[in-house]
Amino acid sequence: MIVLRGTGKLMFDVVVIGGGHAGVEAANIASQFQNLNVAIITLPGVGLASAPCNPSVGGVGKGQVVRELDALGGIMGKLADISGIQFRTLNESKGHAVRSTRIQIDKLKYSENAELLMSQYSNLSIIKEEVKNISGENNNFLVETKSSTWNAKKIIFTVGTFLNGKLHTGAVTRAGGRVGCDATDSLVDFFKDINTLTARFKTGTPARLKNTSIDYESLEEQPSDASVSTFHVLHGTNQRFLSQKSCFLTYTNEKTMKIIRENKEKSPMFNGQINAVGARYCPSIEDKAYRYPDKNIHHVFLEPESHELSTVYPSGISSSLPKEVQAEMVNSIPGLEKAEIEEFGYAVEYDVLDTTQLDYTLQLRSKPGVYFAGQVNGTSGYEEAAGQGFIAGANACLSLKEKEPLILSRNDSYIGVMIEDLVSNVRDEPYRLFTARSENRLYIREDNTCLRMFPYRKKLELDNQIDAYLNRFGELFSFWKTFLETTFINPNDRFLMLYDMKVPRRTSLADIIRQQKGLEIKTLQEFFVFIGIKEDQRLVECLAISIKYEGYINKSTIAKERVDRLNKKKLDLDEIFNSENISFECKARIKKIRPETFGQLKQIQGVRQATLTVIASNLK
Amino acid sequence: MSTIIACSTGHTTNSAIAVIRVSGKNYFDSINKFFSINLSKLKPRYAYFCKIIENSEVVDEIVLTFFKGPHSYNGEDILELSVHGNRLNIKRIIDLLSSNTGIRIAKPGEFSLRALNNKKLTLSEVEGLDLLLNANTIFSLKQGFSLLSGQLKKDFNDLYDIYLKHRSSVEIGFDFLDDLGEEQFQKEINNSFNGLKNIIFKLHSKVKNQREQLIRPDIVLYGLPNAGKSTLFNYLLKDERAITSNIAGTTRDFIKEDLYISGNIYSLIDTAGLRVSNDEIESIGVKKALELTKDAFFRIMVINPLEFNNDLINQMKSNSIDLVVFTHNKNKGFDNSLSKILKRLRDDNIVGTKLNEHPSSAPIGPQKTGPIEPSDSAPIGPQKTGPIEPNDSAPIGPQINGPIEPAKNPFNRGFSYICCDLLSDDQGIDHSIFNLVKDKFERNLNFDPILIERHCDSIKVIYNQFLEYEESFENLEDLAIVASELNILGDCISELIGIVSPDDVLQNIFKNFCIGK
Repeated sequence: MIVLRGTGKLMFDVVVIGGGHAGVEAANIASQFQNLNVAIITLPGVGLASAPCNPSVGGVGKGQVVRELDALGGIMGKLADISGIQFRTLNESKGHAVRSTRIQIDKLKYSENAELLMSQYSNLSIIKEEVKNISGENNNFLVETKSSTWNAKKIIFTVGTFLNGKLHTGAVTRAGGRVGCDATDSLVDFFKDINTLTARFKTGTPARLKNTSIDYESLEEQPSDASVSTFHVLHGTNQRFLSQKSCFLTYTNEKTMKIIRENKEKSPMFNGQINAVGARYCPSIEDKAYRYPDKNIHHVFLEPESHELSTVYPSGISSSLPKEVQAEMVNSIPGLEKAEIEEFGYAVEYDVLDTTQLDYTLQLRSKPGVYFAGQVNGTSGYEEAAGQGFIAGANACLSLKEKEPLILSRNDSYIGVMIEDLVSNVRDEPYRLFTARSENRLYIREDNTCLRMFPYRKKLELDNQIDAYLNRFGELFSFWKTFLETTFINPNDRFLMLYDMKVPRRTSLADIIRQQKGLEIKTLQEFFVFIGIKEDQRLVECLAISIKYEGYINKSTIAKERVDRLNKKKLDLDEIFNSENISFECKARIKKIRPETFGQLKQIQGVRQATLTVIASNLK
Repeated sequence: MSTIIACSTGHTTNSAIAVIRVSGKNYFDSINKFFSINLSKLKPRYAYFCKIIENSEVVDEIVLTFFKGPHSYNGEDILELSVHGNRLNIKRIIDLLSSNTGIRIAKPGEFSLRALNNKKLTLSEVEGLDLLLNANTIFSLKQGFSLLSGQLKKDFNDLYDIYLKHRSSVEIGFDFLDDLGEEQFQKEINNSFNGLKNIIFKLHSKVKNQREQLIRPDIVLYGLPNAGKSTLFNYLLKDERAITSNIAGTTRDFIKEDLYISGNIYSLIDTAGLRVSNDEIESIGVKKALELTKDAFFRIMVINPLEFNNDLINQMKSNSIDLVVFTHNKNKGFDNSLSKILKRLRDDNIVGTKLNEHPSSAPIGPQKTGPIEPSDSAPIGPQKTGPIEPNDSAPIGPQINGPIEPAKNPFNRGFSYICCDLLSDDQGIDHSIFNLVKDKFERNLNFDPILIERHCDSIKVIYNQFLEYEESFENLEDLAIVASELNILGDCISELIGIVSPDDVLQNIFKNFCIGK
């Protein structure tokens, strides 16, 4: 199927290969650039932005990425909102900085909506055909599919797990990137100069259960939280587009784990059939069983996949065991005694690009004009993929327009953290964002995303509705922040009496908010009610939390400055390579990454302490 | 990397032998013409007798030893020339070897910097070396050596490990709570917190007292003008260094001399008399005297009971005194005045104990200034006068980690005193005084103090940051803030260990080196 839209003679400026979350995000931002012709080439038979694993968007650290994307003009937040069937805030009790939104999505609707929104771009073509061959070079690539050969100035690869992908369910294996799709082996020639990691990565997904066969009676229900804000800032703060559904929580037990342990030799991951590396943080149920022999109770979240599908995704028990073992294991779990399996779980192993060959725009250094984004870069998660897709897409366009590249700093965005981590390190396991990866966690929050992203969005020079919102958000923020800091009220002020708050002396409104530990947002809301002004709920939250964290952020900034001074120092790479005091191995690692500053050098895995000391002592 | 040369032994005075070091690579050809033997034939680590020759004239006869890199002190090829230790001779040879040979004079600490670069020494070993080379006390020597052997580094690495453990237990709470569960999370976070607290408090107990007091301990004499300070000063030095006269206020500034007691070098300091004066110079002297007294390791007050005033009482209240020497005991009215003074002090809860009233076998004095350890507090000493540090000040670990400073409680303080007349007799009081000093010093060493300034400063910063961290940790309203405070603590710890060396750390270390090491 081919839908061609665009201007003039169809010479594509940007061709995105792959229609997953990275590909859609890349094509979405590219299509926002006027006068650029964009195409997505993806496999036939699968919708855009399909969700082959967990049916949710957001999560700890990832919620921030979705909001960052949204403020930058991305599409993921919109799609999640309008396809959302259960909204939650994670880490609610742990502090605003680490709070994250997660939305369970109706995965059919999600993909439908992606197709719909993308079809509204008049300069975006969608070509659902397998790519046969790619040749050429920067600004002059040729992409061959079954029906035609397309010209492309820039190519973005978002091919997910399809590089040499292999699926495993028990002893049964077949080639492919995921269930229902064949492997993509046609690009071998084009990729032959590009390094993939020697270690293959693996990921897995659990069996899907038939909704009507689950006994929810005894299980803990997690209903949708009506107070959670939508991702997209132009949506109503608490707007819901679909009727909401609940998730349910159950647990594995001794019996479950015994079944898995007794079948160890049948697990492709443990009997040698799969040699790939999985993520330590997203273990399959086999991993949990063999690695923690004393622990039998593990959470299993039952997540509905769609209003229109009868399937439920049991989060926490991904497995590649043979079918009969999966069934037995599932039926040992409370509530799932009679559960029927609609689709069995499987593991995928796949090749991963060595991302240290990429620059900060995700462009391949050795092949300008070629970008890589998403799971092919060794990340896991839709949000991580989308974040990279955006960076690759935006930068391909900026490069065509001969503008400065868009590089997000790790100091003010999770996307920046991820990109820097990717390009400065050889991955040894699938990469997922954690809040712990950021050094500036108190600042990189969900509530202030608009403030953080506006300067970056401006650089794209795309004047859309979202730009107007961000601009207004920033202006109102400055106005109210100053107002709250410079307005002092007396201890007997009516506002304080009304809400029974006590202050010893004349105090600024900002300090009053600060003193209401844990109730900062509520206090500010009450203040706005008191003065009779209805203000954007997103702005109120951002104001209250910014006021709360301000002092802590300043403190940590001062502490960091000393370290930063050293980190920002420029390296003399020639001096390092000529030094007799640095081991060959360390030099090789440094050569590969070519860090510019000492801070980047420190991020490189495997560079020894002694080497750092030597280099630090020789910095100018 | 250029070849460097320097004299590695002291070269400010003439001595029998001096060692000149040349360090670098492939430099034999450029200097062989100055030697009477073929350098390329030298066998490593053998001593060779040979001559230094300039224009066929023999400059010196020397012993030459060659250390071939990497098996040398700093990993480079090192030539060691043992030459005659005349200053001119040393200079002449160095000038000769560095003239048009491509060899240059080494910068301070450059030999060691190369050792560090070549991974022959670690950062803390270099610091240990610094301490060792500049040691004034045997203890400094020992600690310098223990740093060189890497023991202290291990302690610091333990600190870093346990910090990482705690840090990860906090992080788990954000990113992996679903996997761990809230209960397990609480357990992990609390256990690792206590572990971290223990190790930080233990380290802090080693730096609580002023390190200067241990590296270069001062013994300060002070009191009213003409009480006999300078006489005591000279008596202790067995020398007539300070000018003494009958005119009050003769010592206008202060005088400092080295005093060796049991292998350690102390600075014995004689200060200007404490008296309000219109003379500007003398006022400065008084101010300086009080300053010196404040930082002193051992304070000796010299008092003539016949000239006693309220200022002295106040002085004794505000500073803890190790020893009071009452002079002029041959004078009329001495006993009477003395007992009046002692009574007045007793009324203020400051109790004096005459030194020779102690049973001669018991250790004398030091209990009064240090905390009494539970194990040996019972049998000896006048306990009622010895301030006992309240237990709650040291929340963890054995008592031995408690503070060494004089007791804080001003209402329960004691001092030792001696009565003498230094002008007319020698009662052997110098030995009594030396014993007091020695005991106090050794007692302080029981706390295993850390002497490297950078380490002390770092540990103090870590300790203070930890206290702030503890506050936010216990008030667990927002775990993200807790983690941020912990992060700051982590930066402090990294700095101590040298993993992250902010710019100036290394510079500072090497600045303190003497040339040639």
